[in-house]
Amino acid sequence: MTELVMEAKHVFKSYGKQKIKKGETCDETKLVVDAVRDVSLQIRKSDIKLIFGPSGSGKSTFLRCLAMLEIPDQGQIFLGDQELTKPEVDLNKARAKIGFVFQHIYLFRHLTALGNVELALRQVLKLPKDEARQRALDALKQVRVSDCVNKYPSQMSGGQAQRVGIARAVARNPDIILLDEPTSALDPELTGEVIDTLRELAKGGTTMLIVSHEMPFAREVAEEMIFYDEGKILETGAPSQFFNAPNTDRAKRFMDRIINRTAKE
Amino acid sequence: MPVTLSISLISFLIGITVGLPLAFIRVYEKEASFVVDAYEKIFRGIPEIVLLLLFFFGLGPIFPFPFRNPFFVACFVLGLRSGANQSQIYRGAIRGVGDEQMIAGMSIGFSKWRAIWHIMVPQVFNFSTAGLGSEYALLIKDSAYVYAIAVADLMFNATRIAGAPPYDRVTPFIITAVLYIALTFPLAFWLDRWGTKRKKKIGL
Repeated sequence: MTELVMEAKHVFKSYGKQKIKKGETCDETKLVVDAVRDVSLQIRKSDIKLIFGPSGSGKSTFLRCLAMLEIPDQGQIFLGDQELTKPEVDLNKARAKIGFVFQHIYLFRHLTALGNVELALRQVLKLPKDEARQRALDALKQVRVSDCVNKYPSQMSGGQAQRVGIARAVARNPDIILLDEPTSALDPELTGEVIDTLRELAKGGTTMLIVSHEMPFAREVAEEMIFYDEGKILETGAPSQFFNAPNTDRAKRFMDRIINRTAKE
Repeated sequence: MPVTLSISLISFLIGITVGLPLAFIRVYEKEASFVVDAYEKIFRGIPEIVLLLLFFFGLGPIFPFPFRNPFFVACFVLGLRSGANQSQIYRGAIRGVGDEQMIAGMSIGFSKWRAIWHIMVPQVFNFSTAGLGSEYALLIKDSAYVYAIAVADLMFNATRIAGAPPYDRVTPFIITAVLYIALTFPLAFWLDRWGTKRKKKIGL
């Protein structure tokens, strides 16, 4: 078995008011949203796994917990053999080894494409100026946005911006890249550009965990698909399993709907 | 005129160095935010002339250096009060920049304070030019109070000239009024232009 890159063990995370004040009798449980309920997951080197499921089911929260951008209420997150959920861990160092791509991209608006990619290389990895610049340019070339090097995010198309977002995540050679619906804010044409980029990364052996509903892409590159609903993993399996005969009714209904919609397009 | 201008500029700079950290503490260090609140309440709640007299006559005898120096007291008081105002301006601007920028900064491996420095601070100014413009105009105008502790600023000279023969009570103040406008207008104008340009560039 190849080496374990990231592991989640029994992770819980909920939102809302959790502390019920002493003497208060009102039912506050309704205010709490359980986004992640006892989720465990293992990702090995060069794995490509895809999480899908209904909106608001907690997929993004789970992904943010993995990157420790949100701190889980319970459970453990491991990066390699380091447990990130221990209080004494330097989370900033750990996050430097995890690439994160956001649904709404979140490029740094005051920096050019080059500046966006270079920032972490210069300030976090502390590379010398020339080396950082070269690596940033290489990363931008890899995602095919060399023509945007000196453009600001406001001057790019959504597809270009998201590919710069991917370059920002991959340039520092992270152990794993987490992608949170990287294409769902883009129109079909721009989605194609970004999917092509991800396909190339997949070929290069990048370890990725992707939240996405791009089913043709999933079938092509994912080793494993994970159906996530109401804060839980309901079913995992090879793409063929989901496309032919999902085990759970819930997953079957969801797949039917996606496939019908894709067929209509 | 150079005195008025330098008091305003120096206290504006003191205001930035005080106001910027206060604003970030207020937003991102919840436990310490009451300190910022108290600071703002005190410096925004007390009339400036009272602050000037308190610092000059109250602290002057106890700490002759530097509180015996009226110019220093003027910059100090105006700067601290501007810090309280600017803290509120930047706080609004931080919300304008948005928490997502912070999260994106943390995602590339920055600590909270390094993300603030590299990502939030450069963008905060884009969102605060309008507020800073009026804050600067306020400083120019409020620097007129410093004549009370005998700093030889515009206002001090105007009263001196008006009080000497030929006792013309109007002309010196008309000239002073024009000079104040000449001082406030260019910077506010430039800040506004710069802000619009920057906002366009970052796509707002």
